[in-house]
Amino acid sequence: MDKKIVMPGEKIADSRIRAPNTFYEGEATFATVIGTLDETGRYIPLENPYKPQVGDFVVGMVVDVRHAGYEVDLNLPKGGFIPSRDIRVNLQLGDYVVCKIKLVSEVGDVDLGEVKRLPMGKIVKFPPAKVPRLIGRKSSMVALLKENAGGDIMVGNNGYVWISEKSNMPLLLKAINMIDVKAHTSGLTDEMAKFLESSR
Amino acid sequence: MGGSTDVQLIVDGKRVDGRTPDEMRKVRMEAGIIPEADGSSFVEWGGNKILCGVYGPRECIPRHGANPYRATIKCRYMMSPFASAEEHGRSGPSRRSTELSKVIREVFENLVVAEKFPNTQIDIFIDVLQAEGGTRTASVTAAAIALVNAGIPMKDMVSAIALGKAADVLLVDLGKAEDNYGQSDVPLAMSHKDKKLHLIQMDGLLTKDEIAKMIDMAEKASDQLHEEQVAALRRFYENGGNESFKW
Repeated sequence: MDKKIVMPGEKIADSRIRAPNTFYEGEATFATVIGTLDETGRYIPLENPYKPQVGDFVVGMVVDVRHAGYEVDLNLPKGGFIPSRDIRVNLQLGDYVVCKIKLVSEVGDVDLGEVKRLPMGKIVKFPPAKVPRLIGRKSSMVALLKENAGGDIMVGNNGYVWISEKSNMPLLLKAINMIDVKAHTSGLTDEMAKFLESSR
Repeated sequence: MGGSTDVQLIVDGKRVDGRTPDEMRKVRMEAGIIPEADGSSFVEWGGNKILCGVYGPRECIPRHGANPYRATIKCRYMMSPFASAEEHGRSGPSRRSTELSKVIREVFENLVVAEKFPNTQIDIFIDVLQAEGGTRTASVTAAAIALVNAGIPMKDMVSAIALGKAADVLLVDLGKAEDNYGQSDVPLAMSHKDKKLHLIQMDGLLTKDEIAKMIDMAEKASDQLHEEQVAALRRFYENGGNESFKW
């Protein structure tokens, strides 16, 4: 499908369309961030800061241990909070965790639940707007990466990706970078399968 | 500035660097050249070299600077000590750089959709590595690319250009000599979609008609600049990020 890259302030439709990162002027809709516009008029941002939503799975690092709970760096202006009464394990400073967003308050405070501590590994940053491509349809891309890297990988909606130390890290980092670079192209999963096949 | 001068700025309809009055200097732009920053750009504009990095939205420091209704935009323009032939001294804040930081910040305060990120700050860092007249306009142009690269929502793209007058001829894109010895200097920033002026300053004297003419000339020049900005961003996103940045 033919895709066009649109800039902030560029018109994406002559009618009012409800889509994130747009604004109206008269009866027309305009983009506010750089994105792609396909023939059907679907506008997908290429770059966007992460906006927390209830139900999102996020990956982060414990940056503060307090009496009432833990603060987690989530690639947001403010850290997320895990109340210690909700969890049984004791977390330590620098632990990697994956959790679900339970609540986002009016001022942007994020409360986390369903906490799982992640074993030794590494967190890499990935553009949040491109996370859907890294997960793939029904997690196809993540499944593919797991299968070929020999270790676990956890993708947070916030753009943090945890990679297990047991996996083939150089290969995974290369693969993740490739998804970042080619996020706007179609047929990415097939291409990735080929890439992983050839580098085995 | 303003009065008559001994310096011959226009000879046979050509300017000191051989350009015609409505010709711009050569411009080269790149997006995303600082991988650690959320957004970045590099602009080479004649003899100007400008590096810009954007961070945020992130936690507002100091806390009392936070606004519960919108993001606080902070801009730091800095000219390197080695940026030009003249002495720029130590690279601390000066009267000049404080002013430029303010005017550049105000351009983006009107364009960024800051209501989306309450209680946060967006940092724009602009470093002038080499200067040859018109760094504030090149800085605005560079910062616009970096902000788009950072994915910060904006209502419009913006680019800036300096116009002026020397030997009673209106000039587009003033160089250093024209800036220093010309009759007038008008840097202005214009948004692309609405053609609104977000920055206009004036040094020297001009008539109303001349200002009107200048704004028309600026419109043409800013269209050209916008094309370059878009081309830089397209290159970045189509060829795949930082790997495309090869010297």
